[in-house]
Amino acid sequence: MRIRHSFLLLFAVAMVFLSQNIVAWGAPITFNTALPVAKDEFLIRQQFILGQSGKDFTAAERDVSTQSVVSILAYGINSDLALFAALPYVNKTLKLTMNSARLTRSTRGFGDMTFFGRYTIYKNNFKGGNFRIAPFAGIKMPTGNSRNRDSFGQLPASLQPGSGSWDPLGGIVMTYQTLSMQVDTQISYKANMTANGFEAGDVSRMDSSLQYRLWPKSLSGGVPGFLYGVLEMNLIHQGKNKINAVKDLNSGGTRLFLVPGIQYVTRRWIAEISVQLPIIQDMNGTGLENDYIARTGFRFNF
Amino acid sequence: MKIILKTALASMLMLFSTMGTFAEPLTYALKVDGLACPFCTFGIEKQLGKINGVDKLSTDLDSGVVLMTMKNGVLLDKTKAEQAVEQAGFTLRGFDKIKTPSPKTNEK
Repeated sequence: MRIRHSFLLLFAVAMVFLSQNIVAWGAPITFNTALPVAKDEFLIRQQFILGQSGKDFTAAERDVSTQSVVSILAYGINSDLALFAALPYVNKTLKLTMNSARLTRSTRGFGDMTFFGRYTIYKNNFKGGNFRIAPFAGIKMPTGNSRNRDSFGQLPASLQPGSGSWDPLGGIVMTYQTLSMQVDTQISYKANMTANGFEAGDVSRMDSSLQYRLWPKSLSGGVPGFLYGVLEMNLIHQGKNKINAVKDLNSGGTRLFLVPGIQYVTRRWIAEISVQLPIIQDMNGTGLENDYIARTGFRFNF
Repeated sequence: MKIILKTALASMLMLFSTMGTFAEPLTYALKVDGLACPFCTFGIEKQLGKINGVDKLSTDLDSGVVLMTMKNGVLLDKTKAEQAVEQAGFTLRGFDKIKTPSPKTNEK
């Protein structure tokens, strides 16, 4: 426990220190793998995420709300290889009805840190644009607490800040960028492992992002700030969870989100806001559906 | 005596000519492929700014040209500029000296 807290403290201190020499880049809002990083440069991104799931038609009338602050730090080893770290701080609240009484269970704390590396295998720079293909691979580390308790006992796995498991992940991301628009697409897979008798279902997803320059409509010299209209899509499939090696039939499923948003990009800072709206939710059994996921974030150049 | 005076005068003229050459800073136009957004601009200017002798950098995103003005008497090595552009993740397409103070100026 002490080692984990020291590690997290070191990460936080390092981010404050590194923010003195940061270069910010544009990229999709709902995924981080497309963030381009130059050699010897650092990038920091801070996102605030609100999630709400409350459409439960069972007698439990479950309502889950989450508030997260996610810090992303990236470093360019060279122009092709970049390393990324993402650390969330989460606050989760579950309200449910049990024996005619309405109960509230909640937890907060640092979640699991994800490390991954990305290597650009194909790059085509042309006048006013570029195209890149880059596979990535990494691991989600069990830095978050996975055995939090409240007055009712140990909290369910879905409510814990961390999973307790080491989960490998990988994928590939493609970026096509011109002066007027940018398109990013990634395909990824995360294999969730077992911890504390619980194994979350593996997650496969396909994400796409279109960022279209709304302002200025035409460029007339220099480097003006860009206002992008953003439209993203997240197709996420999660397998069934396993509890003591037995599949939970009320878990996992497929979700499709449409994500409108806005991003303002200058040389020194970037601000962004979006909301993930569920279009299709095919959840298994009584699995809870999402109402929305809203996120806002910023980046700074120093 | 006349020869000595002529030689001294010629030497002084040459010296002043050379001083004039190095007194005015040189500006280079780097045509860069891949530049497509304001944050890219900041990244490439940061890499180019690490080169010794750079006095001023300005970018025109629309044309993809970075103007590099060097300090007095400093010449820009094309290879170094190319490396800096590559390290920022872009490609140097063109390298032109756009301000030539004297025809006698030599470029590396």
